[in-house]
Amino acid sequence: MTKLNFILELQKRLSSLPQEELEERLSFYMEMIEDRMEDGLSEEEAVADIGNIDEIADQIIADIPLSSIVKKKVRPTRKMKAWETALLWVGSPVWIPLLIAAIAVALSLYAVLWSVIASLWAVFVSFCACALAGLAAGVGAYFFKNLPIGAAFMGAGLVLAGLSIFMFFACTLSVKGAVILTKAMILGTKKSFMGKETAK
Amino acid sequence: MDVQLKRGLLDVCVLRAIKSKESYGYQIIKDMRPYVSLSESTLYTILKRLEAAHMLTVRTAEHGGRLRKYYSISPEGLKRIEEFKAEWKEIMLICQYVTKEDSEDDEA
Repeated sequence: MTKLNFILELQKRLSSLPQEELEERLSFYMEMIEDRMEDGLSEEEAVADIGNIDEIADQIIADIPLSSIVKKKVRPTRKMKAWETALLWVGSPVWIPLLIAAIAVALSLYAVLWSVIASLWAVFVSFCACALAGLAAGVGAYFFKNLPIGAAFMGAGLVLAGLSIFMFFACTLSVKGAVILTKAMILGTKKSFMGKETAK
Repeated sequence: MDVQLKRGLLDVCVLRAIKSKESYGYQIIKDMRPYVSLSESTLYTILKRLEAAHMLTVRTAEHGGRLRKYYSISPEGLKRIEEFKAEWKEIMLICQYVTKEDSEDDEA
Protein backbone atom coordinates (compact mmCIF):
# COMPACT_ATOMS: atom_id res chain seq x y z
CA MET A 1 0.00 0.00 0.00
CA THR A 2 1.25 3.48 -0.81
CA LYS A 3 1.19 6.21 1.83
CA LEU A 4 -1.50 8.06 -0.09
CA ASN A 5 -3.68 4.94 -0.20
CA PHE A 6 -3.13 4.44 3.51
CA ILE A 7 -4.12 8.01 4.37
CA LEU A 8 -7.17 7.92 2.07
CA GLU A 9 -8.27 4.59 3.50
CA LEU A 10 -7.88 5.87 7.05
CA GLN A 11 -9.77 9.03 6.16
CA LYS A 12 -12.64 6.94 4.79
CA ARG A 13 -12.90 4.96 8.01
CA LEU A 14 -12.65 7.98 10.27
CA SER A 15 -14.88 10.25 8.18
CA SER A 16 -17.22 10.85 11.11
CA LEU A 17 -14.54 12.40 13.28
CA PRO A 18 -14.74 16.15 13.77
CA GLN A 19 -12.87 17.77 10.86
CA GLU A 20 -10.06 19.30 12.93
CA GLU A 21 -9.43 16.08 14.82
CA LEU A 22 -9.41 14.07 11.58
CA GLU A 23 -6.89 16.35 9.89
CA GLU A 24 -4.60 16.28 12.89
CA ARG A 25 -4.68 12.49 13.09
CA LEU A 26 -4.06 12.08 9.36
CA SER A 27 -1.13 14.49 9.30
CA PHE A 28 0.30 12.68 12.33
CA TYR A 29 0.27 9.37 10.42
CA MET A 30 1.60 11.05 7.28
CA GLU A 31 4.53 12.44 9.27
CA MET A 32 5.15 9.00 10.79
CA ILE A 33 5.28 7.30 7.39
CA GLU A 34 7.50 9.99 5.85
CA ASP A 35 9.91 9.89 8.79
CA ARG A 36 10.25 6.13 8.35
CA MET A 37 11.00 6.60 4.65
CA GLU A 38 13.61 9.22 5.53
CA ASP A 39 15.09 6.60 7.84
CA GLY A 40 15.71 4.29 4.85
CA LEU A 41 12.52 2.25 4.60
CA SER A 42 10.73 1.90 1.29
CA GLU A 43 7.24 3.40 1.03
CA GLU A 44 5.69 -0.07 1.19
CA GLU A 45 7.73 -1.04 4.27
CA ALA A 46 7.03 2.26 6.00
CA VAL A 47 3.28 1.83 5.63
CA ALA A 48 3.47 -1.80 6.75
CA ASP A 49 5.52 -0.74 9.80
CA ILE A 50 2.71 1.58 10.96
CA GLY A 51 0.50 -1.47 11.47
CA ASN A 52 -2.85 -2.91 10.55
CA ILE A 53 -5.24 -0.21 9.36
CA ASP A 54 -8.34 -1.89 10.84
CA GLU A 55 -6.76 -2.00 14.28
CA ILE A 56 -5.58 1.60 13.97
CA ALA A 57 -9.06 2.83 12.99
CA ASP A 58 -10.69 0.81 15.81
CA GLN A 59 -8.26 2.18 18.39
CA ILE A 60 -8.80 5.76 17.27
CA ILE A 61 -12.59 5.36 17.37
CA ALA A 62 -12.29 3.87 20.85
CA ASP A 63 -10.28 6.95 21.94
CA ILE A 64 -12.78 9.52 20.67
CA PRO A 65 -15.63 10.39 23.03
CA LEU A 66 -19.02 9.20 21.75
CA SER A 67 -20.47 12.70 22.16
CA SER A 68 -18.16 14.29 19.60
CA ILE A 69 -18.98 11.61 17.01
CA VAL A 70 -22.72 12.06 17.56
CA LYS A 71 -22.40 15.85 17.41
CA LYS A 72 -20.57 15.65 14.09
CA LYS A 73 -23.03 13.11 12.69
CA VAL A 74 -26.21 14.87 13.83
CA ARG A 75 -25.16 18.29 12.58
CA PRO A 76 -26.90 18.89 9.23
CA THR A 77 -24.58 19.31 6.25
CA ARG A 78 -26.76 22.12 4.85
CA LYS A 79 -29.20 24.63 6.28
CA MET A 80 -32.67 23.16 6.74
CA LYS A 81 -35.49 24.44 4.59
CA ALA A 82 -38.43 26.19 6.27
CA TRP A 83 -40.86 23.30 5.68
CA GLU A 84 -38.33 20.84 7.10
CA THR A 85 -38.02 22.89 10.28
CA ALA A 86 -41.81 23.14 10.47
CA LEU A 87 -42.18 19.38 10.01
CA LEU A 88 -39.59 18.79 12.71
CA TRP A 89 -41.59 21.00 15.11
CA VAL A 90 -44.98 19.52 14.21
CA GLY A 91 -43.63 16.00 14.49
CA SER A 92 -41.83 16.61 17.78
CA PRO A 93 -44.68 15.22 19.99
CA VAL A 94 -44.17 11.94 18.11
CA TRP A 95 -40.44 11.61 17.56
CA ILE A 96 -39.20 13.00 20.87
CA PRO A 97 -41.13 10.44 23.01
CA LEU A 98 -40.10 7.70 20.57
CA LEU A 99 -36.47 8.71 20.89
CA ILE A 100 -36.71 8.81 24.68
CA ALA A 101 -38.41 5.40 24.66
CA ALA A 102 -35.69 3.92 22.45
CA ILE A 103 -32.96 5.23 24.74
CA ALA A 104 -34.88 3.98 27.78
CA VAL A 105 -35.21 0.49 26.26
CA ALA A 106 -31.48 0.40 25.50
CA LEU A 107 -30.61 1.54 29.03
CA SER A 108 -33.02 -0.92 30.64
CA LEU A 109 -31.53 -3.80 28.62
CA TYR A 110 -28.16 -2.76 29.94
CA ALA A 111 -29.57 -2.56 33.46
CA VAL A 112 -30.92 -6.12 33.03
CA LEU A 113 -27.39 -7.32 32.27
CA TRP A 114 -26.09 -5.90 35.54
CA SER A 115 -29.09 -7.11 37.52
CA VAL A 116 -28.40 -10.66 36.35
CA ILE A 117 -24.87 -10.21 37.67
CA ALA A 118 -26.19 -8.71 40.91
CA SER A 119 -28.50 -11.69 41.37
CA LEU A 120 -25.58 -14.08 40.78
CA TRP A 121 -23.75 -12.32 43.61
CA ALA A 122 -26.89 -12.56 45.75
CA VAL A 123 -26.94 -16.32 45.17
CA PHE A 124 -23.28 -16.43 46.16
CA VAL A 125 -23.98 -14.54 49.40
CA SER A 126 -26.92 -16.80 50.24
CA PHE A 127 -24.76 -19.89 49.60
CA CYS A 128 -22.19 -18.54 52.03
CA ALA A 129 -24.86 -17.75 54.62
CA CYS A 130 -26.44 -21.21 54.28
CA ALA A 131 -23.04 -22.88 54.55
CA LEU A 132 -22.34 -21.05 57.82
CA ALA A 133 -25.86 -21.76 59.11
CA GLY A 134 -25.53 -25.45 58.21
CA LEU A 135 -22.21 -25.76 60.01
CA ALA A 136 -23.56 -23.88 63.06
CA ALA A 137 -26.68 -26.07 63.16
CA GLY A 138 -24.47 -29.15 62.87
CA VAL A 139 -22.40 -28.08 65.88
CA GLY A 140 -25.61 -27.22 67.77
CA ALA A 141 -27.12 -30.65 67.08
CA TYR A 142 -23.94 -32.29 68.32
CA PHE A 143 -24.35 -30.54 71.68
CA PHE A 144 -27.91 -31.83 71.90
CA LYS A 145 -26.56 -35.35 71.22
CA ASN A 146 -28.55 -35.56 68.01
CA LEU A 147 -25.72 -36.96 65.89
CA PRO A 148 -27.54 -38.04 62.67
CA ILE A 149 -29.25 -34.64 62.31
CA GLY A 150 -25.97 -32.90 63.16
CA ALA A 151 -24.11 -34.91 60.51
CA ALA A 152 -26.78 -34.06 57.94
CA PHE A 153 -26.53 -30.33 58.71
CA MET A 154 -22.72 -30.48 58.61
CA GLY A 155 -22.81 -32.27 55.27
CA ALA A 156 -25.22 -29.75 53.79
CA GLY A 157 -23.09 -26.90 55.13
CA LEU A 158 -19.91 -28.32 53.59
CA VAL A 159 -21.59 -28.94 50.22
CA LEU A 160 -22.82 -25.33 50.18
CA ALA A 161 -19.39 -24.06 51.15
CA GLY A 162 -17.98 -25.94 48.18
CA LEU A 163 -20.67 -24.58 45.88
CA SER A 164 -20.07 -21.04 47.07
CA ILE A 165 -16.42 -21.29 45.99
CA PHE A 166 -17.54 -22.24 42.48
CA MET A 167 -20.15 -19.50 42.62
CA PHE A 168 -17.48 -16.93 43.51
CA PHE A 169 -15.50 -17.76 40.37
CA ALA A 170 -18.66 -17.67 38.25
CA CYS A 171 -19.53 -14.24 39.67
CA THR A 172 -16.13 -12.64 39.08
CA LEU A 173 -16.09 -14.11 35.56
CA SER A 174 -19.50 -12.61 34.84
CA VAL A 175 -18.32 -9.15 35.96
CA LYS A 176 -15.24 -9.40 33.73
CA GLY A 177 -17.43 -10.54 30.85
CA ALA A 178 -19.83 -7.63 31.36
CA VAL A 179 -16.95 -5.13 31.35
CA ILE A 180 -15.61 -6.56 28.06
CA LEU A 181 -19.15 -6.52 26.66
CA THR A 182 -19.62 -2.89 27.70
CA LYS A 183 -16.42 -1.84 25.90
CA ALA A 184 -17.53 -3.75 22.79
CA MET A 185 -20.97 -2.11 22.93
CA ILE A 186 -19.49 1.39 23.19
CA LEU A 187 -17.23 0.70 20.20
CA GLY A 188 -20.19 -0.77 18.32
CA THR A 189 -22.37 2.27 19.07
CA LYS A 190 -19.62 4.59 17.87
CA LYS A 191 -19.13 2.55 14.71
CA SER A 192 -22.86 2.57 13.97
CA PHE A 193 -22.85 6.34 14.27
CA MET A 194 -19.89 6.49 11.91
CA GLY A 195 -22.31 5.15 9.33
CA LYS A 196 -21.80 3.43 6.05
CA GLU A 197 -18.67 5.35 5.11
CA THR A 198 -16.76 3.16 7.55
CA ALA A 199 -18.13 -0.08 6.11
CA LYS A 200 -15.57 -2.01 4.13
CA MET B 1 0.82 -5.22 32.17
CA ASP B 2 -1.88 -3.48 34.19
CA VAL B 3 -3.38 -0.74 31.98
CA GLN B 4 -3.43 2.04 34.57
CA LEU B 5 0.14 1.33 35.63
CA LYS B 6 1.39 1.17 32.06
CA ARG B 7 -0.36 4.43 31.16
CA GLY B 8 1.38 6.30 33.96
CA LEU B 9 4.74 4.77 33.04
CA LEU B 10 4.43 5.61 29.34
CA ASP B 11 3.63 9.26 30.12
CA VAL B 12 6.91 9.59 31.98
CA CYS B 13 8.77 7.66 29.26
CA VAL B 14 7.62 10.12 26.61
CA LEU B 15 8.57 13.06 28.83
CA ARG B 16 12.00 11.49 29.26
CA ALA B 17 12.37 11.15 25.47
CA ILE B 18 11.96 14.92 25.05
CA LYS B 19 13.81 15.91 28.22
CA SER B 20 17.25 16.85 26.93
CA LYS B 21 16.11 18.35 23.60
CA GLU B 22 12.94 18.70 21.59
CA SER B 23 11.95 15.68 19.54
CA TYR B 24 9.33 14.48 17.01
CA GLY B 25 6.96 11.53 16.83
CA TYR B 26 9.05 8.90 15.09
CA GLN B 27 12.21 9.86 17.00
CA ILE B 28 10.34 9.40 20.30
CA ILE B 29 9.20 5.92 19.22
CA LYS B 30 12.74 5.03 18.14
CA ASP B 31 14.28 6.31 21.38
CA MET B 32 11.82 4.31 23.46
CA ARG B 33 12.04 1.14 21.34
CA PRO B 34 14.87 -0.55 23.35
CA TYR B 35 12.77 -0.18 26.50
CA VAL B 36 9.13 -0.33 25.48
CA SER B 37 7.29 -0.69 22.18
CA LEU B 38 4.70 1.97 21.52
CA SER B 39 2.11 2.15 18.77
CA GLU B 40 1.46 5.37 16.84
CA SER B 41 -2.07 5.81 18.12
CA THR B 42 -0.96 5.29 21.72
CA LEU B 43 1.77 7.89 21.29
CA TYR B 44 -0.73 10.32 19.77
CA THR B 45 -3.04 9.95 22.77
CA ILE B 46 -0.16 10.39 25.23
CA LEU B 47 1.15 13.50 23.47
CA LYS B 48 -2.35 15.02 23.47
CA ARG B 49 -2.78 14.25 27.16
CA LEU B 50 0.61 15.72 28.08
CA GLU B 51 -0.11 18.81 26.01
CA ALA B 52 -3.48 19.30 27.72
CA ALA B 53 -1.71 18.95 31.09
CA HIS B 54 0.81 21.66 30.00
CA MET B 55 3.70 19.21 30.42
CA LEU B 56 4.95 19.82 26.90
CA THR B 57 4.70 22.39 24.14
CA VAL B 58 4.31 21.73 20.42
CA ARG B 59 5.64 23.66 17.46
CA THR B 60 5.32 22.90 13.77
CA ALA B 61 8.42 23.42 11.66
CA GLU B 62 9.43 22.72 8.10
CA HIS B 63 11.65 19.73 7.53
CA GLY B 64 12.80 18.58 4.10
CA GLY B 65 9.95 20.30 2.29
CA ARG B 66 7.20 19.08 4.61
CA LEU B 67 5.84 19.92 8.04
CA ARG B 68 6.86 18.15 11.18
CA LYS B 69 5.69 18.62 14.75
CA TYR B 70 8.31 19.09 17.45
CA TYR B 71 7.60 18.54 21.11
CA SER B 72 9.56 20.12 23.95
CA ILE B 73 9.22 19.57 27.66
CA SER B 74 7.84 22.32 29.93
CA PRO B 75 8.79 23.08 33.56
CA GLU B 76 5.67 21.10 34.60
CA GLY B 77 6.91 18.15 32.59
CA LEU B 78 10.32 18.27 34.27
CA LYS B 79 8.54 18.42 37.62
CA ARG B 80 6.56 15.30 36.71
CA ILE B 81 9.79 13.39 36.01
CA GLU B 82 11.19 14.43 39.40
CA GLU B 83 7.94 13.39 41.10
CA PHE B 84 8.13 10.05 39.34
CA LYS B 85 11.69 9.47 40.60
CA ALA B 86 10.50 10.06 44.15
CA GLU B 87 7.46 7.80 43.69
CA TRP B 88 9.67 5.17 42.16
CA LYS B 89 11.59 4.56 45.39
CA GLU B 90 8.31 3.65 47.04
CA ILE B 91 7.34 1.36 44.17
CA MET B 92 10.73 -0.38 44.28
CA LEU B 93 10.26 -1.08 47.99
CA ILE B 94 6.83 -2.61 47.32
CA CYS B 95 8.35 -4.60 44.47
CA GLN B 96 11.10 -5.96 46.72
CA TYR B 97 8.49 -7.03 49.25
CA VAL B 98 6.27 -8.72 46.64
CA THR B 99 9.11 -10.66 45.00
CA LYS B 100 10.74 -11.64 48.29
CA GLU B 101 10.99 -15.43 48.79
CA ASP B 102 8.84 -16.92 51.56
CA SER B 103 11.96 -18.32 53.25
CA GLU B 104 13.30 -14.80 53.82
CA ASP B 105 10.31 -13.96 56.04
CA ASP B 106 11.88 -15.62 59.11
CA GLU B 107 15.20 -13.83 58.73
CA ALA B 108 13.60 -10.39 58.91
